[in-house]
Amino acid sequence: MKLDTSGLESTAPLFGSLSSGIHDEISAAPSFALPNTINFDGFQKEAIQMVKPAKGTTTLAFIFKEGVMVAADSRASMGGYISSQSVKKIIEINPYMLGTMAGGAADCQFWHRNLGIKCRLHELANKRRISVTGASKLLANILYSYRGMGLSVGTMIAGWDETGPGLYYVDSEGGRLKGTRFSVGSGSPYAYGVLDNGYRYDMSIEEAAELARRSIYHATFRDGASGGVASVYYVGPDGWKKLSGDDVGELHYHYYPVMPSTVEQEMVEVTGA
Amino acid sequence: MECVFGLVGNGFAIVVADSSAVHSILVHKSNEDKIMVLDSHKLIAASGEAGDRVQFTEYIQKNVALYQFRNGIPLTTAAAANFTRGELATALRKNPYSVNILLAGYDKETGPSLYYIDYIATLHKLDKGAFGYGSYFSLSMMDRHYHSGMSVEEAIDLVDKCILEIRSRLVVAPPNFVIKIVDKDGAREYAWRESVKDGAVSTA
Amino acid sequence: MTKQQANWSPYDNNGGSCVAIAGADYCVIAADTRMSSGYNILTREYSKICKLADKAVMASSGFQADVNALQKHLAARHLTYQHQHNKQMSCPAMAQLLSNTLYYKRFFPYYAFNVLGGLDSEGKGCVFTYDAVGSYERVGYSSQGSGSTLIIPFLDNQLKSPSPLLLPAQDAVTPLSESEAVDLVKTVFASATERDIYTGDKLEIVVLNAGGIHREYMELRKD
Repeated sequence: MKLDTSGLESTAPLFGSLSSGIHDEISAAPSFALPNTINFDGFQKEAIQMVKPAKGTTTLAFIFKEGVMVAADSRASMGGYISSQSVKKIIEINPYMLGTMAGGAADCQFWHRNLGIKCRLHELANKRRISVTGASKLLANILYSYRGMGLSVGTMIAGWDETGPGLYYVDSEGGRLKGTRFSVGSGSPYAYGVLDNGYRYDMSIEEAAELARRSIYHATFRDGASGGVASVYYVGPDGWKKLSGDDVGELHYHYYPVMPSTVEQEMVEVTGA
Repeated sequence: MECVFGLVGNGFAIVVADSSAVHSILVHKSNEDKIMVLDSHKLIAASGEAGDRVQFTEYIQKNVALYQFRNGIPLTTAAAANFTRGELATALRKNPYSVNILLAGYDKETGPSLYYIDYIATLHKLDKGAFGYGSYFSLSMMDRHYHSGMSVEEAIDLVDKCILEIRSRLVVAPPNFVIKIVDKDGAREYAWRESVKDGAVSTA
Repeated sequence: MTKQQANWSPYDNNGGSCVAIAGADYCVIAADTRMSSGYNILTREYSKICKLADKAVMASSGFQADVNALQKHLAARHLTYQHQHNKQMSCPAMAQLLSNTLYYKRFFPYYAFNVLGGLDSEGKGCVFTYDAVGSYERVGYSSQGSGSTLIIPFLDNQLKSPSPLLLPAQDAVTPLSESEAVDLVKTVFASATERDIYTGDKLEIVVLNAGGIHREYMELRKD
């Protein structure tokens, strides 16, 4: 089975012209090694167990008057075990573009890094920044070329380009949707509930940030697989900026302070008759 | 769930598609246009896996355009349908595209036509056709009310009847539909039938 | 041809635990030296720690054959790097190289769970933690391997470093002094050895600081 590794070409070293046998093997961009097995799918099923699935996730992004707001939780779990509470699920592709991470942690991280390289090369070749439309399509086409091989990616590409704010949803099944409001991950139904209800196009940046943070908070409250820190990013005409990062455990008591409860009835021990 | 249907009238063909992008229980988008304007006088309505749908229809569109550039004349609707079928048939034995297609077009010589092409590369020329869960309702509806030589008004009336039936009888009915038409003046969007506005302000 | 390899797996798990802690001007990387296969102890003195560069040390558990192949590959890559740039690779650079190396075997992974410890360009301690296919993050401390589920909660309790994602940012570096960190590592391994059958025999501790690299050992239970 020969794999298309053209997706990796931009990572080839600058010293590619020096090609002696052993040198190639270790410094040229290696192609993906495949197991020498008849039952590739079965092998994949076993191998996938080792891939840290950042499956339990809540991420969201939406376009509003001032730009794009992007937010995510930070938990990674393997079954019932929390393998990390500090995952950076909002990936900084370049100063004007962000990607979010749901699905396989390594798949998201690697291909976003790869996309960052491609975007920079586009910039150098064309003397202008790539559009969000273009960048999202680069990623979608790569993921589509690997379909059926077990990649697991559910991402949103958010950014600002010559046409203004841009937002796309891209996944490893090859889907790519343009939109104004998305949420991805196991906590997304909860996030959508809060987000849809509180959304207005003409929000201020502060209102939008608060809506994003609250949507993530409510998702982490209901979804066991989401939690940790709620990070909120804003992308405007001058690029992205991190607005906040709050521990949702503390956020809970910020939103719902503990009230001293009034005792309605005192329990009195009954004296035996 | 997905609903795509279309019919041929007097001097025109109409195709209708739902506009929902669904992932398990989530509706990610309700204004996704699933009918592509293939060239000046052709429409291609597709249902199926999201990735395959976009990749395949774009591939067909680009190749039909390439043919026109190379030869100076556009493909007829019949030729485009047979080309599409051929590509699906070739892919079927390698890595199949899971897309079902309704291809509508208008040719000077033959007038309007509608082709049904499914993911296993079946090709039929039809007066009316449908795919997806909506087909159970729209097919019988069209069988009952369709007649040859329908006017645009009659056809739209029938299309609206089908949409109404789907919305009222199908559990997982999509809220919004897009209607496109092709006639001697070309292929174009005719109307949207929306009961939910995407990105709308909640009324609460 | 049909069923010849139905129950055969190219992988084994040799167990073992690794820990790394970053301090303000030092980094401690530690691992036990037991190597097992199922209930068999194959050897009591197999080092899981590998020096990749002057300021980057990797500790790996999982399948030691894969780990060995990975170490060799990284050593070769680092050698070419030195020839091309005439310097040692920095720890953050090595961290990304390791990530990419792991991901290139995404469809036939190295069964290796790594922590990379070292000093960054400012001389501050840094720890990077990985999954088998190369997702990684920079943290204040980390543990990988068979005893990690016992060790991590203990370290969380003792060190409780603030999340690097918080804004306003709080320094994630451990407040412990170097000798306190080494003592903590010794305690943590002694405890893990009590409850994890794959951890034991001997503890190897590597300390990186401005003075260079320093290694010490501590005996663990051998049962």
